[in-house]
Amino acid sequence: MAEKKQARLTKVLDYLKHDDPFSKGVAFCPGCGLELLLRFIPRVLGNDIVITGTPSCSAPVLLGQNNQSWHTLSYFGTLMTGAAANATGLVRYYRKAGIDNTVVCFNGDGTANDIGFGNLSGAAERNEPFIYICYDNEGYMNTGIQKSGTTPFGATTTTTPYGTVSRGKNLRRMNLGLKMAMNKIPYTATATLSDLDDLAKKLLKAKEAKERGFCFLHVFAPCPTGWGADPADTIEICRQAVKTNYFPLWEAENGRIRMTKTVKKPKPVNTYTKLMKKFNHMTEADHVILQDDVDYEYCLLGGLSVLEAECQLPVSVKDQGETS
Amino acid sequence: MSSNHYFKHEGPWSDAGDPLMCTDTGDWRTRRPVVDKDKCIFCGLCAIYCPIQVVEMKGDTHFEADLDFCKGCGICAKECPKGAITMISEGEFVS
Ligand SMILES: Cc1ncc(C[n+]2csc(CCOP(=O)(O)OP(=O)(O)O)c2C)c(N)n1
Ligand code: SF4
Ligand code: SF4
Ligand code: SF4
Repeated sequence: MAEKKQARLTKVLDYLKHDDPFSKGVAFCPGCGLELLLRFIPRVLGNDIVITGTPSCSAPVLLGQNNQSWHTLSYFGTLMTGAAANATGLVRYYRKAGIDNTVVCFNGDGTANDIGFGNLSGAAERNEPFIYICYDNEGYMNTGIQKSGTTPFGATTTTTPYGTVSRGKNLRRMNLGLKMAMNKIPYTATATLSDLDDLAKKLLKAKEAKERGFCFLHVFAPCPTGWGADPADTIEICRQAVKTNYFPLWEAENGRIRMTKTVKKPKPVNTYTKLMKKFNHMTEADHVILQDDVDYEYCLLGGLSVLEAECQLPVSVKDQGETS
Repeated sequence: MSSNHYFKHEGPWSDAGDPLMCTDTGDWRTRRPVVDKDKCIFCGLCAIYCPIQVVEMKGDTHFEADLDFCKGCGICAKECPKGAITMISEGEFVS
């Protein structure tokens, strides 16, 4: 009996080779996607990573309070305007000092897509050898759930409320992952928490690829508090985001896009939106607009992956090599 | 103590103390995950999806949450493929 049980153990456990460097009781909301991601990264990559990040929901825990810390990792807290520049400084210092380690620049979508995008873009152009991870909770959560560039069409936030004049965000969401892949950096990928083996593989690939330069991971991490979702649904939300193509899973080596999970029969986007209150007010017409956007982005991604295979990579990109 | 091998603690600039901060997050809980050991097929999905990673392997038979820190989010119960975990109101356990 015991042997039979052993055989069913999920393979994800095999990726968790290292200790959890965080103390058990840390101040994230119940069901927070960010907390799962943050504990997962060092368990897969090792505890010798150096993290740098900005004011956000991750900062109170990563930075610590007064003279005490919530974890045993090295963390360098910096400004929203300069996250990637700070990571550049760190990685160059470690190179000069002959220290072989992994620098992870860990930020919310507000920093990555909006306030700190300039230096993220610069680091990608210079191909700085570190891993940038953006956890996407689709808004500025720590300051009270304001809209960001990755907030989707229709979603209510405190700056895009639902009322007589405003009907949630009236702009489309920006595709941060695709934007970064277009820079032809050694590795770009999207990931989410329902597919943890996929996330672990991508983290390990990024660790390898960062030897050749800049790596970017865009991780979809639900925020039950800000989205008005049941904390128990966090993983289900990620799963439905993938199954509706709302958040497709792909990776790109040197900008060559490859789907890592294809959904045979994508579900309509309302199977995803109905899981949270931020979309509650949306009419059928609103859903058509959102569905249109999701379909367009997915079609573009598919088209690019076919085109990329046909196009000859320029020599300047080929020189970066590929992950075996 | 830090497992980091470059610095004794967080960094030369840091004055972080040795003991880690820890909040009594078990106190936030309004519902408690209770595992039916017979239904559990020992797949570990509850353990990998628990955001605070407090669902522990108990021998080679079942998994159980550390109630000192479990926040009661209910993810483990939702994700269990066998429905072996039930969320029960904390009120039931007050004697
Ligand atoms: C330049 C600058 N503008 C505004 C702020 C205020 N601020 C602190 S945290 C935060 C929200 C960060 O959002 P995000 O990066 O998406 O992380 P999240 O809170 O969602 O985890 C903001 C706007 C700041 N610290 N610096
Ligand atoms: S507000 Fe959202 S992102 Fe921030 S800790 Fe709470 S659940 Fe996590
Ligand atoms: S998810 Fe359910 S069946 Fe699997 S180990 Fe946990 S309690 Fe057991
Ligand atoms: S209820 Fe939430 S915090 Fe508690 S053990 Fe389950 S998943 Fe973990």
